Amino acid sequence: MAFEPKIAHLESEDAGKAAERYELVIIGGGPAGLTAAIYAGRARIATRVCTGILPGGQPNNTTEVDNFPGFPDGVDGGELARRFQSQAERFGAEIVPETVTGVDFSERPFTIQTDRNTCRAQTVIVATGAAYRRLGIPGEDKFYGRGVSSCATCDGFFYQDKQVVVIGGGDTAMNEALFLTKFAEKVTVIHRRSELRATKIFQERAFANPKIDFLWDSVVEEVLGDQTVTGVRVRNVKTGETSMVKTDGVFVYIGMEPKSSLFVDELELDDNGYIVSNQRQHTSVPGVFAAGDVQDPRYRQVVTAAGTGAIAALEAERYLGDHPGQ
Amino acid sequence: MSLLNAEIKEQVKQQLGDLVGPVRLVMFTQDFECQYCAETRQLVEEVAELSEQITAEIYDFVADEAKAKELGVDKIPAIAVLGEEDYGIRFYGIPSGYEFTSLLEAIQTAATGEPDLGEETLDALVKLSEPVHIQVFVTPTCPYCPQAVVLGHHMAVASPMVRADMVEAQEFPHLITKYQVMGVPRTVINESTHLEGAAPEPMVLEKLQAALAAGEEG
Repeated sequence: MAFEPKIAHLESEDAGKAAERYELVIIGGGPAGLTAAIYAGRARIATRVCTGILPGGQPNNTTEVDNFPGFPDGVDGGELARRFQSQAERFGAEIVPETVTGVDFSERPFTIQTDRNTCRAQTVIVATGAAYRRLGIPGEDKFYGRGVSSCATCDGFFYQDKQVVVIGGGDTAMNEALFLTKFAEKVTVIHRRSELRATKIFQERAFANPKIDFLWDSVVEEVLGDQTVTGVRVRNVKTGETSMVKTDGVFVYIGMEPKSSLFVDELELDDNGYIVSNQRQHTSVPGVFAAGDVQDPRYRQVVTAAGTGAIAALEAERYLGDHPGQ
Repeated sequence: MSLLNAEIKEQVKQQLGDLVGPVRLVMFTQDFECQYCAETRQLVEEVAELSEQITAEIYDFVADEAKAKELGVDKIPAIAVLGEEDYGIRFYGIPSGYEFTSLLEAIQTAATGEPDLGEETLDALVKLSEPVHIQVFVTPTCPYCPQAVVLGHHMAVASPMVRADMVEAQEFPHLITKYQVMGVPRTVINESTHLEGAAPEPMVLEKLQAALAAGEEG
């Protein structure tokens, strides 16, 4: 491995203390939240961003982002996350690695409780993003973090010359399957349909890779093993037949789930848990806006998250102007 | 050739520009240096050049056995990050990739001697009467890992009973086997208790207390 230092901003002098009141609190430190912070900072709005434990959001989890404009050669996900944060800091947003544990949007100012502090805000932007969906099958919890993973960049190393399965058929599944071929001797993609959903360029690369093979029309029903993962039980959805696939590790990329559980009693959510927002990123509560993956079941791109973050901040600014001194 | 490029050096200078106290990076290597021993030594020396408060001390793991024992260093490459006192902050393996962040954080924490932890955690750690050994296994490409490492280091600073190691898994294959590391971060507390992922502070505290309770029963 080459020495490649990465400097993330984990902590801030502001951690541990919070002012009583902010004009805007942004919940979430991914592309949506940090873009909102850039806009809010430039508008000189008193802003606090609660990023949770990993500032930068999902780009951190990927090796290379190839479709963010302005980076013709692609950009490392972690590096992109760091740049978002530096830019937001430059315009004065107070960015803290606190995790929000509860909110009260029933009256203004809104209350935001974190693992360290409680503060109040005239406006809020919810940009909590989405998390990898779990399979919800026997064996998954038992082996999570020790044989079952959703972070190939973190854990790929442990599968040198071993066999792994990747579950899923989208962009992330293909990207990570390709990454895992650097370590594993064989990568089996298990997908519930007979064709991939992934972008064509990912499909081309995956089909061309001799280490990757595919198990179509199949779902994984159980992760098997005693001390370590030894295999998965797979059912063919067309024939109903079940079989065992031998494997040392399971990487799960079956889509995302919005991180909206804190807002169930506060904001209108759709049937899948996404926050309902209109084209101007307003939620069901005036003064509360939503941006990024937590309100986007469709596109979920870094660039669309950033776009909705910008809109949310501009709308918050307008709202503050219309409701001064609240 | 320098490990840190000009841009990174500038960032480090900025981040470490206001260190309030002296920090010693006590590094252990050996005569015939392993690849990462050499790089780790070079890294420590380069970082020390970026702040007047930081000094690098290089020891030989074999020849300076007494020093290694004094600091509880049992494998190399190793860095002990010392402030006014030895808080128990250790790095085993090179702090590369995301772990470079952990090193910078450790330097800042050692300089102040003030852990950034919640009150409940501090209260619980101050009351500890038995030794706690936290080992956080990482890979340099794991974005979640520094969170777990930094939390361990803060806990070490908060209590003289706690020592906390970053362990770069790739360089210590025997420990991967011993502790059954198949994913990172993996936090091992007092050998027997483990925790997967970058867990929030209260959860790590809970595990730490569970580890001590299990130790008493055993």
